[in-house]
Amino acid sequence: MNTAVNESVAKSGDSSRPSGIKARFKSPVATPLRFVLFLIYGIPMLWIVLTSLKSPSDVISSQSSFVFIPTLDAYSEALSNSGLYTALQQSLVIATGTVVLTLLLAIPAGYGLARVDSRITTVGLGMLIVLQMLPQTSNVIPLYQIFGQWNLLNTNAGVIIADTAMLVPFGVLLMRPFFRAVPVALEEAAKLDGAGTFRTFFSIMMPIARNGIATTGTLIFLLAWGEFLYAVNFFLTPNNYPLSALLAQQVSAFGIDWPGLMALAVITSIPIMVLFAFTYRLLREGLTLGAVK
Amino acid sequence: MPHSIRRLASRRQLLFAAPAAVFLTIFAIYPLLQLMRMSVSDVTVSTLNDPWQYSGLENFQTDFASPAFGETVLNTVIFVTIVTLLGLAGGLGAAILLSKSGRWTGFILGLLVFIWALPPVVNGSVWKFLLGSSGLFNSIGLETGLTTQPIPFLFDDSIALYSVALVNAWAVIPFNALVFRASIMGISPEVFEAARMDGASRWEEIRHIIVPVVKPTTLVLLVLTVVYGFRSFDFIYVMTFGGPGVATTTLPFLGYIQAFVRFDFGLGAATAVIAVAMVIVLAVLYARSVRREEANS
Amino acid sequence: MTNHSSPRRRSAALAAAAFATGALVIAGCTPDNGDASDAASGSSDSGTQTITVWHYFSDDNQVKVMDDYKDLFEANNEGATVENVFVPYDQLNSRLITGASTETGPDVVVFNGADASTLALGDVLAPIDDYWADFADAGQFPESVVHSLDGSAYAVQGYVNLLGLWYNADILAEVGVEPPTSIDELNSALDKVVAAGYSGITLSGLPNSQGEWQGYPWMSAFGFNYDDPQVQPLTDAFSMIQNWTDSGALTAEAVTWDQTVPFQTFAAGNVAFAENGNWQMGTAAATADFEYGVVPLPVGETGQVYLGGEGEGIGAFSQNPDLAWKYLSETYFSTEGQLIAADVVGSIPARADAAQDDAVTSNALLDAFATSIDSNGANYPSPAIAPESVADQQLEVGQVWSSVIGGQLTPDAAAEQVVTALAGLK
Repeated sequence: MNTAVNESVAKSGDSSRPSGIKARFKSPVATPLRFVLFLIYGIPMLWIVLTSLKSPSDVISSQSSFVFIPTLDAYSEALSNSGLYTALQQSLVIATGTVVLTLLLAIPAGYGLARVDSRITTVGLGMLIVLQMLPQTSNVIPLYQIFGQWNLLNTNAGVIIADTAMLVPFGVLLMRPFFRAVPVALEEAAKLDGAGTFRTFFSIMMPIARNGIATTGTLIFLLAWGEFLYAVNFFLTPNNYPLSALLAQQVSAFGIDWPGLMALAVITSIPIMVLFAFTYRLLREGLTLGAVK
Repeated sequence: MPHSIRRLASRRQLLFAAPAAVFLTIFAIYPLLQLMRMSVSDVTVSTLNDPWQYSGLENFQTDFASPAFGETVLNTVIFVTIVTLLGLAGGLGAAILLSKSGRWTGFILGLLVFIWALPPVVNGSVWKFLLGSSGLFNSIGLETGLTTQPIPFLFDDSIALYSVALVNAWAVIPFNALVFRASIMGISPEVFEAARMDGASRWEEIRHIIVPVVKPTTLVLLVLTVVYGFRSFDFIYVMTFGGPGVATTTLPFLGYIQAFVRFDFGLGAATAVIAVAMVIVLAVLYARSVRREEANS
Repeated sequence: MTNHSSPRRRSAALAAAAFATGALVIAGCTPDNGDASDAASGSSDSGTQTITVWHYFSDDNQVKVMDDYKDLFEANNEGATVENVFVPYDQLNSRLITGASTETGPDVVVFNGADASTLALGDVLAPIDDYWADFADAGQFPESVVHSLDGSAYAVQGYVNLLGLWYNADILAEVGVEPPTSIDELNSALDKVVAAGYSGITLSGLPNSQGEWQGYPWMSAFGFNYDDPQVQPLTDAFSMIQNWTDSGALTAEAVTWDQTVPFQTFAAGNVAFAENGNWQMGTAAATADFEYGVVPLPVGETGQVYLGGEGEGIGAFSQNPDLAWKYLSETYFSTEGQLIAADVVGSIPARADAAQDDAVTSNALLDAFATSIDSNGANYPSPAIAPESVADQQLEVGQVWSSVIGGQLTPDAAAEQVVTALAGLK
């Protein structure tokens, strides 16, 4: 099986001519299927947007109809909340910090585990899966105690470390196959040219795996962006809450402000869409660039 | 390449995993050990901050003796199976459909990312409304005459579990699709060109080019999706709270309820450890297949 | 290669920027980066007197009450500052308990009164016996709002929340029935409104404490109580509920409803009755465009309606418990403070003098709830359940309640299951 992988990737290494992508899969089945996919995800999104434009009394009475008087009240209320901008900044800092720290740890680890041929790999991978399995709720108390001792409570650093600890196993497991897909021969050739292990890693492996790095980074950013359990527990003052915790605030024991919740959901995902638009271009370039020269 | 040189290089590459190993030992292994210690201790809200009393396997016995526990395990297996199969198949399908660059692709991908980035309280609430008695799906069914009565998606004990599992699969597909897509995008266009010149149909392309290439990714996603299924409880929390009765209670939800509603931390930890043990079987299989893969290459 | 180098350089620059950001982040630039213990428990060392109040209110009106209390206290006490801290409802208890493990916590905790014993067991609350003994107005408060554990008082409720029977007056007028005062009247009213094409009643069937809280009035209406749990009254109560779901008076969808959605559904106008609380007055005024009213839940002589609401206590790790008590006695426990809450959110004052104030008695809706307190009010949770078993009892009964509404259990089996579960509690 792996020969197929290696061949295809190795071939892409020789290519510098972007072609044939547009023409791929012009099939009569693809378009209707794509439309179905669009519906499956578009309908709930439409519902979110419609609800955010309703007044609270219309939410239940017009559950499945499009007939209501739209209002921007929920948006103007959400946007007038002065905490929104601090929260947005907090979300950006926490998510960016988590991506950087997680990638710093997960990229080399993913590479190491992709290349090392020993029992340690087996144990390491199994361990990562077990760590991935830990319920987040059960990590709160032990981490709270550690952060308390290290004065990391109520700091961004604390939340970033907690998020990173949760996401590193995920990042390593995800990065590993991207490195596995790179033929060993390529690396060995570099070594014969006199490049050291570290230089090979930085100048050969990292560029080839950048599709995987970009994807993993994006996914980690999204996960860190939405994480709220650690944020609520490790920030002691609500002034530090990120957007995800503001969202949680819309749901209380005494009522759910549906339009407010949905409007805030739309607002919080705008930065996500900007990030996506950016990485989408990166990914497309990544493809046409080919791998290594 | 002589074997000895390969081995030497391998050893050095182990160093690359060292920072992550150190970091995880402090911030992830320590909580894991605490969880395991908790599962064999009598820890309730009044004893959490005192030295924990060792109680042997009592918490595990309490779980196994509970009348609803068998049903909970069965629910978990059904739930995880549906989420995994649909999540992987849907993810791969979506990735193949969206592997062509273009405006439509970008738009739909954006939609998937939008959905995936929303917290479960939003997505879960949306589906709760859509699947409700007067929600969109039932309204369409009634209007078009497909059904004569609203379908009790979330409150009939024989349907609710499947509904919640479907919504969870729906929520995990965007993630799998993004990863699959990244792996498909790594295939050189020339490979497809060559295949087309040989007159390969699209199905043949999928079977002979895409499927082999995404195989290692599939293995990882399989593990990640199963793990996701085994620890996901927020959709259940939002949509059914484990009900009606205990019809949609799965292990992670049970563990959450035990630890944070009943505040029996020891019992909740034992349930979490049982779930971890079920996944360890899978972890061993995964690590083994990885070893075999290593040996072959 | 030239066309390749530019994007690659761009990503390199990006990576550099990301690393720089990361370094900044790790260096720590948290907006409110006070010392952890300061933030959690208000420092009282230097002249500033700050008390921190943790609560789970996010509804506008309830937040306004918190703000009004803050203003009230700060105006009366120069140099004192109140910091209201919101913690999401689902997280409040676990955050308090986690904080106790490092001996940190707020000065004042406002929490779900039913969790008082859990929080007291978790060493989150300080005993308030001394303050309470010296409190001149303590006699104004009924016994049922003082939460004690092992003979020590830990929290008091400044007001009570309870369930009543909301009705849609327009629908009742159309089908020609009066608001019911007994179970029989309610059942016949439900038959009539269903025959006229309306939904009968909405309530919560969630398999947790909310379900138990909503189910208990109906169970006790047939003579059930936790002191001496019997199968027969439960069977009768559950049979009635399944009659409702069979006739269409109550939808089985209620098993997925917390207490919010059923009231929103009622307020949308197609339902005759809602079993819901006094805290919904704001929602009713804002969203219901029909005539509505409230009568006490028609649960008869044996029927019991829980007296819920938020408990207020002093954090076990407060640096300044005296000031925290002063805050409570001047806001939650004062006549003035309780009337603010009655006016803004429609809660029923716990103090006898405040409950007799014009502002409360002249409000027909509040009056119906106040009547219910007199005739059917019951301690929540039931004193018959040991404090450490309360959470189990609420969950087990809530799950059965859900199964009855969802139709998974017959009334007989459900009643048996409740009695067995209660016998198994510690």
